[in-house]
Amino acid sequence: MKALQQNLSRLEGADTQVLGVSMDSPFSNFAFAQQNGISFPILGDWGGPVTSRYGLAQKFDIQGVPMETARRATFLIDKSGKIINEQVDDEAVDPSKTVEACERHKLKN
Amino acid sequence: MKRQWRNVICLGLLNLILVPVSTPRLHAQNNKKEAAPMKLRVGDTAPDFTLLAFDGKELKKVSLQDYRGKKNVALAFFVFAFTGG
Repeated sequence: MKALQQNLSRLEGADTQVLGVSMDSPFSNFAFAQQNGISFPILGDWGGPVTSRYGLAQKFDIQGVPMETARRATFLIDKSGKIINEQVDDEAVDPSKTVEACERHKLKN
Repeated sequence: MKRQWRNVICLGLLNLILVPVSTPRLHAQNNKKEAAPMKLRVGDTAPDFTLLAFDGKELKKVSLQDYRGKKNVALAFFVFAFTGG
């Protein structure tokens, strides 16, 4: 999230809206955004219906307690609604490839 | 008797040749956790959704379709709030 914030001006410059999603409530996402200086919306996917629809729901076992959370992933979706780039798991921590894909896409159109 | 020993030695040599080749591969498979395949791939249409975001004052509906024809969207799923990254 912080890495996306650091790249926000480049993403916005390439005509891209950044949206975060987590399975928290919108309220804890807002508190998280405030504490970390994040200015884009972080949507609350409470219960995970959208996370599941995107194929990212993942079951964890933490100290014997089962939990469901999202796999880390960043999708770049163009104006027609098509996925033009995706970064998954550890690869999604650094958003450089998403930023570059955005800028390439802008040059093409 | 001689032939039996020769067979034993041959088997032993075969093991020496085959085992070192196959063992590292097994280790590699055990250590590397294969990433699960993605349900959605580049080129697919992103599923529409409507979720809520809180802006400090009120809850607002945000839909992917709001941006259709207007902006690209970088949609970033992350594990949980307050968990780093």
